[in-house]
Amino acid sequence: MPEIQFREALRQAMVEEMERDETVFLMGEEVGEYNGAYKVSEGMLARFGPKRIIDTPISEAGFCGLGIGAAMCGLRPIVEFMSWSFSWVAIDQLVNNAANVRYMSGGQFRVPIVFRGGNGIAHQLGATHSHRMDAVYSRIPGLIVVAPSNPYDAKGLLKTSIRCDDPVIFLESEMMLNDRGEVPAEEYTLPLGVADVKRTGSDVTIISWSKCMKYALKAAEMLEAEDIDAEVIDLRTLRPLDEQTISQSIRKTHRCVIVDEDWPYCGMGAGILEKVYQHCFDDLDAPVKRVCSEDVPSPYNHYLELQMQPNPEKVVAAVKEVCYR
Amino acid sequence: MNVTEPTANMSINTMEQPRVKRQIKAKSKERARELLRMMMLIRRFEERTYQEYTRPGQRIGGFCHLYSGQEAVAVGISAVFQKGKDYLITAYRDHGHSLALGMDPKAAMAEMFGRATGCSKGKGGSMHFFEVENGNLGGHGIVGSQIPLGTGAAFALKYKGIPGCCFTLFGDGAINQGVHNEALNLASLWRLPVVFIVENNKVAMGTQVERASAERELERRGSGYNMPYRAFDGNDLDEVIEVVGDAAERARKGEGPTYLVANTYRFRGHSMSDAMKYRSKEELERARLRDPIILYEQRLLQQGIITTRDSEEMESEVRQIVDEAVKFADTSPHPEPEELYTDILSEKYPLHK
Repeated sequence: MPEIQFREALRQAMVEEMERDETVFLMGEEVGEYNGAYKVSEGMLARFGPKRIIDTPISEAGFCGLGIGAAMCGLRPIVEFMSWSFSWVAIDQLVNNAANVRYMSGGQFRVPIVFRGGNGIAHQLGATHSHRMDAVYSRIPGLIVVAPSNPYDAKGLLKTSIRCDDPVIFLESEMMLNDRGEVPAEEYTLPLGVADVKRTGSDVTIISWSKCMKYALKAAEMLEAEDIDAEVIDLRTLRPLDEQTISQSIRKTHRCVIVDEDWPYCGMGAGILEKVYQHCFDDLDAPVKRVCSEDVPSPYNHYLELQMQPNPEKVVAAVKEVCYR
Repeated sequence: MNVTEPTANMSINTMEQPRVKRQIKAKSKERARELLRMMMLIRRFEERTYQEYTRPGQRIGGFCHLYSGQEAVAVGISAVFQKGKDYLITAYRDHGHSLALGMDPKAAMAEMFGRATGCSKGKGGSMHFFEVENGNLGGHGIVGSQIPLGTGAAFALKYKGIPGCCFTLFGDGAINQGVHNEALNLASLWRLPVVFIVENNKVAMGTQVERASAERELERRGSGYNMPYRAFDGNDLDEVIEVVGDAAERARKGEGPTYLVANTYRFRGHSMSDAMKYRSKEELERARLRDPIILYEQRLLQQGIITTRDSEEMESEVRQIVDEAVKFADTSPHPEPEELYTDILSEKYPLHK
């Protein structure tokens, strides 16, 4: 199986879907002539031309709204955010228009649009450019939120997201774009709303997604040495949440740690924790622990930035705590 | 249309009496009568809405913004609207536009009553009327938020090679929102078939234009985007048809967007709770002299297109239509409890595709 970069997996998904469906187009800042701020869309302008690979001015609210209007009228836009942090200035368009228009119109409109780009803490970008938007959008009825952790999942999930008739928030990470992974040459898609057990185990369930999956899997490896057998669930879709896979795992392990880089208070992990207690309270042998970012703005300094975030060691410590070890 | 020199922003005090002898711009005499009747219907619908909203045991809830006084704008657009190709999108003062585009008054009234038979199944309310088959992209509740959406509808037309346009309407308050700038720039940069129409009723809720916009000649707020801009008399139906029609043709021919300011006046408050302390009785009386319905009615009478009797008959017809709409709304069922959970997503999840 060919091994490709995360960014290439994203590109393959977009290219294949654009070849399959004329109504799919890509729009965003620097996606065309610059070949993508992070080279995700490299070569796509040459392949599809300026009608379908569209460079926008720096007008996030404007081009997000434009994309939503186009989706209401039968197109399937892919809107790239250079960073999901920039979506704050477009949030009215995403929440009031993309998410609400179907409901407010009594089901008259579909809004088949994908918003995608780098989410979360990257490398020393400071407080304005390091936002984790997971919980911000996952709490909105009417939106689908997808957050892949590896190239194989990214390609399969992005293809389904582009075919989906609902608005999809697709969260990537600048820190994963160079990651390599096996991706089959033949076509495949992956379902939205289905978590994936990336490692089976019997002693504890570690729930994570996106970039933090690496820390969860690394921690599971480290825990082997301590004779703790961890199961690791990759949520892949944050809304709708695959509550069944979570419950099945916790009914087996009776212990749970949730790992994400969102803030602790009202963060994404808090929403998942509520579901765990709702479905599995009586199955738990210990209170659930969360490993998340510190409750501070994202700092510039490299060491402080690392200190703020989850890492495998923090996950190991949390797992040992829920295992009373 | 050429870029026009900015004209003075007409206030209600300085607007000229319209020319009664002006040429009728409707396609036929029959069409002219229909347009007058539609303006009467909208007025009657709105005034009845006011009564229903304020009567004891109120059956219309939420925020409700009436269109009385601005009818010529929506009806003038409907005269040049090409169904099946064009789109229209507007803000929350959306009853008039929806009726003018052909919405059944029963579905409109039922929506305000929150009933399952409403145009949005009782899930949208007064501010959120939609009707996809008429190209009605809706009433939108957040000031200015619909301007990029309308620009996107125009983008879709251009992308698909359909020679239509999107009439994108907003009030004088919306021009001070950020997306106004972003959408105007995108539309002109990409030569999209948009007709931007500011319905300048002179006051954003209670804040007069001159207290909100540093530039008082509002059409100039459309300058700096390399597109034509002009103001016109939004109370004169024939002027609306002419000016908006020209801009629509320009858009449909691929020549890009136009920025229009329709100077008009709303007779009612911003919403139902508005006591209108910000304007005098005299101002309102002066405005009544320029009632768009009376102006058009006079023109049709003087040109022999209608008789006084025709006019009376129309009044009685629209009264009956609105009475029936209220009856229909009042006897329609509320949505079933399970409707709370429908129309949120288009797909079923988990989604395999």
